[in-house]
Amino acid sequence: MTNVLIVAGDRPQQESVLVEALGRFRAQGARVGIVCDFALDGFTIDPALAELHSLRATEPDAKLRRTLARNQQPSRAVWLRAWHDGWVRQRVRTADVLVALDGLAVHTVWEMAQRQPRADACHGLGPAGKVIRARHEGTHRPARTGLGDVVSARAGILARGARRSAVTGVKESLEATMAPAVLRSRAGARLWRTVVAAPGLPDRVRGGLTYRLHVRAVRADRPGQAASASKAASARMADKRARAELLMREATEELAMGRVPVCLREAVTAELAVADDWLGRKNPRKAAQSLYKAMRLLFHRVPHFDQLTSPLAGDPAGFLAPLRGSRAAQALAAPRGREKPAATPPADRPLRLLIATNGNDHFLTDIRARYADLPGVELRYVHLTQDPVGDTLIRNAGAIVEHRLTGATEFGNRVEEWFRPHLDWADTVFVDWTVATAALLTLVDPGDTRVIMRLHSFEALSFWPHLIDFSRVDELLLVSEHLRDLAVEVLPALQGEQAPALPVIANAMDLRPYPRPKDPAARFTLGLIGTSAVAKDPRWAIEVLRELRAVDPRYRLLLIGSGLDPAASTSVRQYQDALDADLAELEPSGAVVRVGHTSDVPGALTGIGVILSSSVRESFHCALVEGAASGAVPVVRDWPFFAGRAHSARTLFPAGWVVGTPQEAAALIRTATATEESWRAAGEAASAYALATWDWSVTRHQFDELFRIPATEKVP
Amino acid sequence: MQKRLPSPLARLARATRPRPRRGPRPHVIYLAIGFPPAAKSSAYRMRETANQFCALGWDVTVITISESAWEREYGLDHTLSAGVDPRVKVVEVPLARTDLETDIRAFSEARSLRPQHWIDQQRREELRIFPEPVFGGWRFALEKALLRVHRAHAADLLMTTCAPYVNLAATWKLWQEYRVPYVVDFRDGWSVDVIAGTTAFAENTPADRWEKRVLEQARAVWAVNEPIADFYRQRYPVIADRVRVVRNGYDGDCVPATTHRPDPEAGLTFGYLGSINFAPALLDSVLTGWRNARREEPLLARSRFEVRGHIGAGALREANAHMELLRAAAADGVEFGGPVPKAEVAATYGRWDALVLMLVGGRYVTSGKVYEYAASGLPVLSAHEVDHDAATVLAGHPLWTGAVGLDPKRLTASFVEAARLAVRADDADRAAAREHAQRFARGAQLAPAVAEATRFARPAAQATLTPAAAQASPAAGPTQPTPAVPTRPTGGNPS
Repeated sequence: MTNVLIVAGDRPQQESVLVEALGRFRAQGARVGIVCDFALDGFTIDPALAELHSLRATEPDAKLRRTLARNQQPSRAVWLRAWHDGWVRQRVRTADVLVALDGLAVHTVWEMAQRQPRADACHGLGPAGKVIRARHEGTHRPARTGLGDVVSARAGILARGARRSAVTGVKESLEATMAPAVLRSRAGARLWRTVVAAPGLPDRVRGGLTYRLHVRAVRADRPGQAASASKAASARMADKRARAELLMREATEELAMGRVPVCLREAVTAELAVADDWLGRKNPRKAAQSLYKAMRLLFHRVPHFDQLTSPLAGDPAGFLAPLRGSRAAQALAAPRGREKPAATPPADRPLRLLIATNGNDHFLTDIRARYADLPGVELRYVHLTQDPVGDTLIRNAGAIVEHRLTGATEFGNRVEEWFRPHLDWADTVFVDWTVATAALLTLVDPGDTRVIMRLHSFEALSFWPHLIDFSRVDELLLVSEHLRDLAVEVLPALQGEQAPALPVIANAMDLRPYPRPKDPAARFTLGLIGTSAVAKDPRWAIEVLRELRAVDPRYRLLLIGSGLDPAASTSVRQYQDALDADLAELEPSGAVVRVGHTSDVPGALTGIGVILSSSVRESFHCALVEGAASGAVPVVRDWPFFAGRAHSARTLFPAGWVVGTPQEAAALIRTATATEESWRAAGEAASAYALATWDWSVTRHQFDELFRIPATEKVP
Repeated sequence: MQKRLPSPLARLARATRPRPRRGPRPHVIYLAIGFPPAAKSSAYRMRETANQFCALGWDVTVITISESAWEREYGLDHTLSAGVDPRVKVVEVPLARTDLETDIRAFSEARSLRPQHWIDQQRREELRIFPEPVFGGWRFALEKALLRVHRAHAADLLMTTCAPYVNLAATWKLWQEYRVPYVVDFRDGWSVDVIAGTTAFAENTPADRWEKRVLEQARAVWAVNEPIADFYRQRYPVIADRVRVVRNGYDGDCVPATTHRPDPEAGLTFGYLGSINFAPALLDSVLTGWRNARREEPLLARSRFEVRGHIGAGALREANAHMELLRAAAADGVEFGGPVPKAEVAATYGRWDALVLMLVGGRYVTSGKVYEYAASGLPVLSAHEVDHDAATVLAGHPLWTGAVGLDPKRLTASFVEAARLAVRADDADRAAAREHAQRFARGAQLAPAVAEATRFARPAAQATLTPAAAQASPAAGPTQPTPAVPTRPTGGNPS
């Protein structure tokens, strides 16, 4: 019997290879234990082949937590967790063969081998298989087991332990000199800046020191000092990868604090330089990894979605300059076109329309209902999250980047296999949301199938549209003019010969159920529907309410919706904290009432007399339009992301609906609600306008045109 | 790097070096890392080269690395050694790739903590010694070994085959010290990136300086195909008339003597034989095409696809992404059977009904297996770029499906076509296929080049060739006059 202990630092990439090897080991008389430094969710091995043990199954105790906190090397952390685990220790004592399954596990096996001198220590299943077979066949040459070797190994363990303790002591002393008070002082800040920028420091030492200094300076509320020290230190680093690693690490830490990183641009630029370097070395795979890393940072939710501003919306060209200057990003954006142009709709059979998405399908309800019943259309609908393969594909944005850069990947083959039957069937594909499904679809040449996509809003601030090959898209539908302007600014691929057409059609909304009689008490009730994102800025609505109540305490505010998810990021939690403070003041008196999610919006609107749009950005704001259709007086903040541009809330809605400040909003509301008659008249006018402009009975014809439904088949 | 010496001093320095002992017959030192029993695709070409020199009456000393070193890579195939002329003397230099070490006890603590970082650091250090990652650090050991062999038995000619390109450093050393004429069998070349089809390194880089300097003094430079040869003729016009195309060819003992009769009722067996060292995406495209073809064609639905060869090295040996793909394709009748010893190659082809030729690169890549495939008399399905030198070899082959690129959809059609060819082909078709490939027999490909190389030897060596040995020389092909090579060194090392 050969006792084998396999250590896996990461979930095995080649599970079937592992299973096959375990089968072989068992046939050769091996008893195998596998210790994994990852949660075992969904990872199973036949117990007859091996006993699985996860180091993550139990929470580390206080001592281990402290040790881990001091350690910064992932491979060392695996060992620390492993040696703290009784199951592992017992297995090491009896092991004949120790196997590291991946690079992260090598150090653990190396340490184990010092403690178990008679065991073989192998990296990889192949070499382990040779040893196990040799042991089985009796041709194995035993490892060193002499007393000298044992003593030498023990002495080595002690010496390394002593060295580590000394190094830890020095580090802790060093960190004490980075206390907030020191960093807030001019002398302390200058001293540390000089230290990290001193010439001659090895990159590894400089990187470690600068990171610590940066994080502590940010925590001491000295972001300027943090940025200055990082820039000075990184400029001294000769190795591009070391520089990128430092700046990315700092940026990641700041994002975790809920802050927009002070060196965001520098970090992205450094990582893109690494990507370009890999591309220059003809390693597109590694270039793709770096590029994707840079893009994830550049489009992280904290700067763009969890704040009330976005550096991208403020200055798209400036913010995206590093990306546009990168050769790797240019390779990603290179159009590949399509072999054939889209065919004209068939005249001899119904149009085959495929609607695909992996996002919220709320905006598809009316579209699907119409084309499911239209005789001239054969409709197929796929939601990729509801397909086991499709669901896997949409969760791999990194693989999309890799495929675009390398031109051929296994992932690309899977995408082709999944989409090809749909593309062969469809005359027209309509993809809602320019996210994963859209990016995946353009990895495949669509043949002569017409491709239409719809960009709503948030996508323009995300990396997704940058993964889409718009040379394979015939029409990119937008829901408003101001979103089209932003999209064009952000995406150069939307201009030029291979760019898609950019029609604008409002969201499909059946507004007929909304006009209902309103309670007279609704006159003083403001409503904000949808509060699940920081961008909705309910605190602006509360500001309006405060203005109104300062004069007339009859006004109150209903907040309808599920609210924010504070777990999403620290900056969301910070906004929620501020909102909670407002609510603590206003809820007890009934001035603000949180209603929560409701599926009966028309019913809820009967109690709302004034409908607000307090958002910092919207593409269209369906809830506001539904409120207007219900007869509530619409009051729209001039969405700051677009205010002052050629197109904005002011060009989307009638002039009388849009205001610049909470004070203007309060004044508008006071005027409109001055009397019941004025309030009802204003509401009826708004309702009539909404129905005449945006009701599905109007916009469906625009969709018919978009999909090129034969005129004879149109339903009035 | 050695400093330049003024030429009188250089002559003096050379005069004081130990005088090598001469033998009764001409002697070629063959710097051939990968010589049998290394289980490497280049071993066949090396074996034939050494054997042909022997047949021409030369003493042959091969310098390669130790057998144990190959255990870390693709292993050993002792059946390959059986075909080596027993007169060939092999000198093993104790070198091995440290990056492929899998015994963790041999690791330092630093390596155990960050294995990849440690390897990257090694590579940087290797590049300082010679501008070739992984192998650059072998430079001094190879130089010493080559000088030692030469001093013990004076070489009249040095044959150097690359990769690794660090061999050029040792070649240059021998030239500098003893003016031993040399031929570089460059096979795939160095400054040409045969996979990407571009230049591998810019001009005036250390690698470029090494390549230029060494090639300028070479009596001949061999390349495996015309595009690579053209690349070198254009990059270094001064050596244009010394660049030769010496194709790989096939060995007669690798071709099945009898033809397997397909049994459509039982299904066909498709086969791939060769190193699986291409990107997983290529293998995946082929497996996807195979899977789709099985859905389309009932004959293929009951057929098998057998993949044989080496997969991965070091810690990843037979445990990499390729293996995962092959295991996952088991349900589609795909089997992986490991490497095939050279002695069993013919029998393996003999069991198959059609061959799948998976190749990387494009117009600069030919490969060795394409010749065997062409000569097997079996239908050949191409899974490589359309503009690929393998297509040049296969053009006109009556049982070839043609090159359609790597789109799984097109490969699906190729599988169906190959199945059709396998079933319909008669003995005449198979004979015609073999006939088409006959011109690519390895011996015939190498013979003119080797014969020419023997004429580059020092004049003293030419005189020692016996008439019998000269008669043993195969018919030499058209030869070029010996280039005018300066007898003085042109300077120190290039980098």
